[in-house]
Amino acid sequence: MGWAWLFLLLATYPWLLGADLAGDAFATSGLVFFVSGAVLIAPCRRLRRWQCVLLAAGAGFLFEARRPIPDGLLALPLVGFAVFLSTHRAWLRSTPRMLQAAAAVNALACLLWSAGAAHEADLPLAARLGQLALQVFFATVLGAVALVPLALTQNAVMDRLGVPPPEQP
Amino acid sequence: MDQNRQGARASYVALAVFVAGWILLPSGVRRLNREAFAEFQAPALHLLGRSRDLATYWEKRSRDAEELSAAGRDLARINAGLELKLKMLEDVRRENIRLREITRYQASPEYLTVVARVATRESASWWQRIVIRKGRNDGIRPGAPVVFGDAVVGRVAAVHLSTSEVDLVTSPGFRCTAYLEGDELNRIVLVNGVAAASLGSAKARVSVIPHDYTMPAGQPARVTTTGMGGVFPSGLTLGTLDGAAYATQVGNFKESLLVPSRDLYNLQEVSVLVPLKQNPGEALMQADQFQ
Repeated sequence: MGWAWLFLLLATYPWLLGADLAGDAFATSGLVFFVSGAVLIAPCRRLRRWQCVLLAAGAGFLFEARRPIPDGLLALPLVGFAVFLSTHRAWLRSTPRMLQAAAAVNALACLLWSAGAAHEADLPLAARLGQLALQVFFATVLGAVALVPLALTQNAVMDRLGVPPPEQP
Repeated sequence: MDQNRQGARASYVALAVFVAGWILLPSGVRRLNREAFAEFQAPALHLLGRSRDLATYWEKRSRDAEELSAAGRDLARINAGLELKLKMLEDVRRENIRLREITRYQASPEYLTVVARVATRESASWWQRIVIRKGRNDGIRPGAPVVFGDAVVGRVAAVHLSTSEVDLVTSPGFRCTAYLEGDELNRIVLVNGVAAASLGSAKARVSVIPHDYTMPAGQPARVTTTGMGGVFPSGLTLGTLDGAAYATQVGNFKESLLVPSRDLYNLQEVSVLVPLKQNPGEALMQADQFQ
């Protein structure tokens, strides 16, 4: 189904909004609840590559839209991750591997937007390494923790849309 | 398998071409893309804000009648006091107009006040922002000051159709000139946001404090806007000095931290002061947004 990526993006959006809400509740701590990287994992096992690419671009641009980050700095690398993950689907067959992938993609994507935001705010990144490390660590943990409920939602939507199940080893 | 690898290679090449094209694209196209994704999220933010309002409404509905009548009585007293104050201020306004006419004083910029509810708050080390549920459709323009009562909240950073993003006083992009309470000579100091420390609440920095400035005893010194630059009206409270002022590296001036006058992350409603006439700073900001 050609539009599966769009329906999947719409179904994933409440999770992205939920992450924003959590960020709102903990605003005084300065932590961003970032899950845009983790949303790619389950779809990359089942969707076609071009659909994964569009989903990744959508998730990235949704995050960038309301934040002072250079345009495309998050969305385009997420597209790169989507291409990589959809090429190596065999790596995502087991749950522990999926968790690892979610943590890694989320952490890398978080590192990218943090660096981009520091550049945009004209602040030396080196002076804020502590905060950056904390944010990346938090994104790593959150990526792994959020993957299970995210994957459950996304798999349910893909089942409904008639997307073929992932290949078994 | 080979086909899969070839497909991936083609995808990487296509991505590289797209990235190159994206960099070379006119900024207007990128801005349009950003705007489209921001507008896509606007209904969800409105829904979120309204459901919060509804929760507050039902929380207030659940209070007992006695408590409500006591609150109503207190409000009536406050209203009576304010009505008296309004009449006095009206006299002052008339006198002010008369004196301005006599001295041919150039009128300070006038503002249209747009009250807006806060939809979400967003804070990272690199920015502190709130999203409000009013936008271009309500006349809000980039660069407009945002206040709550007489306290400065921040400045409109980006405007969408029905939502706007506000950079808070503590956000690194925020800059403003100010006066310090207790400085008889009214020397100008600079206020700018500072990137937040790990898990710490954000503050702003007050710099270029004269060496001989001493804070008033027994109370934190208020920092107020100067009205210069035409963005913020004069006399608004930015916050208070954090006590310990320390010498900068140059050594000619002192620096201190600014504690915002309100808890910026607990605001439910703010007022946007939209200048009736566009000022030069605002025009520059609009140009930045279109770049």
